[in-house]
Amino acid sequence: MIGQILLSGVATGCIYGLVALSFVLVYKATEAVSFMQGELLMVGAFAAVALTAAAGWPAWLAVGVAVLGMALAGALVERLALRRALGQPHLTAVLLTFGLGLMLRGGVTTVPAATHGAHQLPLPGLAGHLDLGGVTVSLAHVGVIAATVLSCAALAAFFHFTRAGLALRACSENPRIAAMMGVSTNGMHTLAWALGAALAALAGMLMAPVTFVHPGMGVIALKAFPAAVIGGMHSLPGALAGGVFIGVAEALAGRYLPEGANHVTAYVLMLVALLCFPRGLLAGRSA
Amino acid sequence: MRQALALLALAGVTLLTLGPDYGLGQLAFVATWAIAGLGLVIILGQSGQISLGHGAFLAVGAYLQAGWVALGGPPLVGLVVAITGGALLGALASLPGRRLGGLAFGMSTLAVALIVEEALVRFDGVTGGASGLSVPPLSLAGWAVVEPWHQFGASAAVLVLALLACRRLLNSRVGRAWRAVRDDEGAAAACGVDTAHAKWLAFAVGGGLGALAGALYAHWLGYLSPEQFGLQLSFELLMLVFVGGASRLMGAVWGAVVIVALPQLIALLRDALPAGVANLAGLELVAFGLVLVAVVLWRPAGLVR
Repeated sequence: MIGQILLSGVATGCIYGLVALSFVLVYKATEAVSFMQGELLMVGAFAAVALTAAAGWPAWLAVGVAVLGMALAGALVERLALRRALGQPHLTAVLLTFGLGLMLRGGVTTVPAATHGAHQLPLPGLAGHLDLGGVTVSLAHVGVIAATVLSCAALAAFFHFTRAGLALRACSENPRIAAMMGVSTNGMHTLAWALGAALAALAGMLMAPVTFVHPGMGVIALKAFPAAVIGGMHSLPGALAGGVFIGVAEALAGRYLPEGANHVTAYVLMLVALLCFPRGLLAGRSA
Repeated sequence: MRQALALLALAGVTLLTLGPDYGLGQLAFVATWAIAGLGLVIILGQSGQISLGHGAFLAVGAYLQAGWVALGGPPLVGLVVAITGGALLGALASLPGRRLGGLAFGMSTLAVALIVEEALVRFDGVTGGASGLSVPPLSLAGWAVVEPWHQFGASAAVLVLALLACRRLLNSRVGRAWRAVRDDEGAAAACGVDTAHAKWLAFAVGGGLGALAGALYAHWLGYLSPEQFGLQLSFELLMLVFVGGASRLMGAVWGAVVIVALPQLIALLRDALPAGVANLAGLELVAFGLVLVAVVLWRPAGLVR
């Protein structure tokens, strides 16, 4: 029983962690606080659903294409709009991304097929349950965790073994010195938004087998703020760890605390983290 | 003076196009939103703090007023109770500001607002939960304020009083302390301004004004549910202040005009569209987002300051 609670908590936490990762990636590189990660997540999930259900593509191919498409969309939005918020007060980026998020959510809502009925994204290999010595394990949860580990490993490899990854890290660390070393900071901002959008979209598709795909599913991104804050706002591994921590804490609160307490757990933890560890639980560590 | 004339002209146009009853109802909402915006102008434009959860103050005011009236208390005293409750929540929400600055503090206000919203859903014995709560009309000494004309009069009177009180406050020692904190917190502290106290006061005043607006809103609408006071409302209020201009008190009034007029314009547009495209639920969201994005792109530094 406790094993199942923990597993589902870790799986949910991985989703929070992925969204928090995308949020921190963008925040570190461009100083923009994004309130549209939830909408990017939702649009990504819908793109995959549209490619499988309407166009009849194989599910995993659709997921790959949708992630790439969202990366392109993220880069495009950065070029067209978000670049203007650079170097402005935080509130400018907050309002700009919230407005873009409203447009995305409204745009999806206007498509009648999206709002009528619930959609699911069946990913082959991730349906059903596995019996491990008396413990029933949902394959969807295992799949979410595995996909998160894989994508984070890929991300870490990108940051440590490629020139673009090094440049992006340099740009997040100190944009002026990075520019002096010949890094195109504008290009890096575009790259950060592309990666951020792709990660959020991936989180949406991983969510899809567990929950339904609907225009309001972006609300889950609100839980990414506590995850990012607990991770210290500047640390990529911290954001992922914060997400898993929140997911597990919520699952435990849902089991052992009075009903409804699990809905506020994340925000209470965020307040406590802000007050007691303003620089994050992993202060000093950074990716 | 010119602003007052422009507002009068605008009110006249509204009454002509929307008809007297409906138009006055909308004007009452403009005045109510302006009161809430005034609180955010003080927090954002005067003391320079980010409040991402201003909707929570309106929620507290609305539910306190509804509860007070349901218990049989006189509504005018209820307004005082609501303002006190909002000011207390504001003071509470400003406490993290003693340790945090800028964005982290903004995040903490967001957390407070989300907790308040969830509490409204959970304590459904008192608040009616997600299914909502109906509120009787405002009654002053046995005279019920139900006519749109009276509602507008009451809102406008409260708005004028709030404007006068705020102006008085801004020209005082308190207002100077707020602007000092906004421009440079370190320098303000070095000059002997108690910065924590200034932030506390800004949030108490902002929260009280928000709660006052929420209490009036509860009476005008006659129905409350927690999702009216969610993140969407907080951001609409931020948009109101951003569009109207946070540096002046009148910015709140102009912002409120835009926020209330926008859905009306969208409704007009929807009528003009062919039948197949009209009545799409997402159209309003798209339009709100479009206006917000356009305003921010047009003046990215904002009208803040």
